Amino acid sequence: MNGWTGKILKIDVGTRKVEILPTEEHVDDYLGGRGVGLRLVYDLLRPGTKPLDPENPLIFSMGPLSGTAMPSSGRTDVTALSPQNNLRGRSNFGGYFGPEAKYAGYDHIILVGKAEKPVYVWIQDDQVELRDASQLWGKDTYDTQKLIQRELGDPEIKVVCIGPAGENLVRFACLITEYAGAAGRGGLGAVMGSKNVKAIAVRGHGSVGVARPDELLRESVALNHEIRESPACKELSSFGVVRFVSVMYKASFFPVGYFEDVDWEEMSDKYGGPAYLDKHLKKQVGCFACPIRCKNFLHVPEFGKGFTTCEPWSGFTGAVWNPDMDVMWQGIQAANRLGLDSTEVSACIGLLMELQHEGLISEKDTDGIAMERGSKTAILETVRKIAVREGFGALLGDGQRAFAEKIGPKAVAKLDLVKGLAPHPYEFRAYHGTGLMQAVGHRGDPLPMRGSLLEFEWSNAPEWFQEVGQKMYGHPGAAIPSSYEGKASSTILSEHNALAVDSMGVCTWPYANFVFHTIDKAVRMLQLVTGKDWDVPHVLGIAERLRNLERMFDVRQGLTREHDALPSKFFETPLAKGKYQGAVLDRAQFEEMKDQYYTLRGWDLKTGVPTPEKLAELRLRT
Amino acid sequence: MLKTLIVDAQKCVGCRTCESYCALKHGGTCNPARARIHVVKWEQDAVFVPINCRRCEKPACELVCPRHATHRNFATGAMEVDATRCIGCLSCVFACPFGATFADPTTGEVLKCDLCGGDPTCAKVCPAGAITYEDLSKEAYLKLLASADRIPLLVREAVGKQG
Repeated sequence: MNGWTGKILKIDVGTRKVEILPTEEHVDDYLGGRGVGLRLVYDLLRPGTKPLDPENPLIFSMGPLSGTAMPSSGRTDVTALSPQNNLRGRSNFGGYFGPEAKYAGYDHIILVGKAEKPVYVWIQDDQVELRDASQLWGKDTYDTQKLIQRELGDPEIKVVCIGPAGENLVRFACLITEYAGAAGRGGLGAVMGSKNVKAIAVRGHGSVGVARPDELLRESVALNHEIRESPACKELSSFGVVRFVSVMYKASFFPVGYFEDVDWEEMSDKYGGPAYLDKHLKKQVGCFACPIRCKNFLHVPEFGKGFTTCEPWSGFTGAVWNPDMDVMWQGIQAANRLGLDSTEVSACIGLLMELQHEGLISEKDTDGIAMERGSKTAILETVRKIAVREGFGALLGDGQRAFAEKIGPKAVAKLDLVKGLAPHPYEFRAYHGTGLMQAVGHRGDPLPMRGSLLEFEWSNAPEWFQEVGQKMYGHPGAAIPSSYEGKASSTILSEHNALAVDSMGVCTWPYANFVFHTIDKAVRMLQLVTGKDWDVPHVLGIAERLRNLERMFDVRQGLTREHDALPSKFFETPLAKGKYQGAVLDRAQFEEMKDQYYTLRGWDLKTGVPTPEKLAELRLRT
Repeated sequence: MLKTLIVDAQKCVGCRTCESYCALKHGGTCNPARARIHVVKWEQDAVFVPINCRRCEKPACELVCPRHATHRNFATGAMEVDATRCIGCLSCVFACPFGATFADPTTGEVLKCDLCGGDPTCAKVCPAGAITYEDLSKEAYLKLLASADRIPLLVREAVGKQG
């Protein structure tokens, strides 16, 4: 095969049985990467299995384009049943692990079972070994990777691992690779920890086959140039997302606190991110073969060197009422090292701060630490205590709901969760399409997606972006944040584009979100590498099948229309200030957006379940 | 006028784009281990040093080759390996002071940067502008010197931390 290696590696870490399964039979219907990973998890997970049971399969999925000579080809998808909500957990990381796994010869790596004592998985081409991890257990994610490379005598070994949080089965523990690559959402770190697996280390010396190498070289060089010349790449490769964050606060796209406010002066006018970069940024780095290199590498004299990207720039600032960038820096370095999902942990801190502010908790509920807005101790101690299950962190490690239930019904009423997870921190009252995407999306957080970013961009040039909305999604309202029109189409196409790109094993940032807004370029590369003659409509057709299978997985776990919801605050409490003052979600129109979404999808309006006709049309066996 | 590759380790971001495209160009498959340029990485310190043939005036690889398989291409200035003469002894791999002569991990074939015959692919695709293809001039030489001077400092800083 070209692109795909043709081999799925399945390891039972309890019995130590190693199997090779063929990839080829899945690719025509499910493509690869996220798509084939979805088919595998659906088939391997026996209903009734609990997320931390040994039988929960943890599946790493590389795509046919992972590790190929094209820009941004380093992504790996991960899936399992999520300990956060008993629905499908799914996340995706970059770095260099995925390509190495392809060179070792594998499209997917599946872990099942539970090891008797802590182990790490060591894969070198066709040799698979389970090695003792007792000396690694308790180590943070950075030290773990270095220690494994040292033990095995090869600094070019690539590692994905858990930190203490995953070992302690914190429900939102994550997987870390390199120094800022994370499969953050859904608690997949806890699933690995529940198997007594500390890490997977991989080294490969093989090749990924290419069907049309001369054309690939020519067109891939041109693609490299096109991406590098794009304004999005120039911005991201110089500053990462940091300057975007400033603008997003001004636009009320990001909430402040626990969705309590917008337009907080400290963030919209005085946000310290860009100045912090000016002072401390050493280099922008990135994932395999990626020109965008969105990760910031900083050296902050007092606290050392480290990396971050994305979400923490707002998660550890505005979301926790914190203007102090040093605290933000310490917070994200701790979360990375301990292996904690930064989105969920900053939401936990935000919740505590809101409960404290409302008088529903006091220091006695939080080990004597007052959860004052922006308190450095509150922020850093909460991160640490959750990871090691200390004091109030122990219950919080089971999730926000577990903690709130102990406090009482008033605290439970304050929870802002979507399908059991902290939602992606966007302000849904102002951005209605984004709200729909969040509510109906998979895993409790499908964002960011192109249709949502369009709403954010709209105010820069309303008429221009309304034309984009019309052209891409069939209605100008798709671009207008306050509109309820065109949102179902923009949601569906954005979901399909993301599914397609994730299934190819390349990054959505250039290929669906920031540089290219349709998947044409990615599909062209797919043709040249694999030799398949699939065009864009064909690939989007596969994506539709994937979305429906994704939905059926959750339906099998008990999902219905009523779970496609947003917390009541978004319908009841209009924004008090800022650019979108007065904005709120109208419940009737929100439900109408959902009706339109289900209708376009061919899902039952009452239950939100794909109809038998739709499943038959997609030839989807469930 | 002969040209050479100027590689600036300060700019390198360790993305392996150069390795990937080099392997595709020469071998038609995707496998950075088959490239004729290789990036040594100290990820935690973001120190990355691309290793590439220096096209020495008195090349160790040519001097040790028992079969005169390694020779200069006077059109490009690059060293090339005549596969029909090469016996796979790997003396050149051992002898290169920079570790810039590589061997295919599966076949043992010697991999030598040939500047893509005068149109180097890596220079076209490096997203950080760390690889440029420039005329051999006093100016270029000074740039090479400056870059070379910095590398030990960067590496010492990185290794010192991990030592």
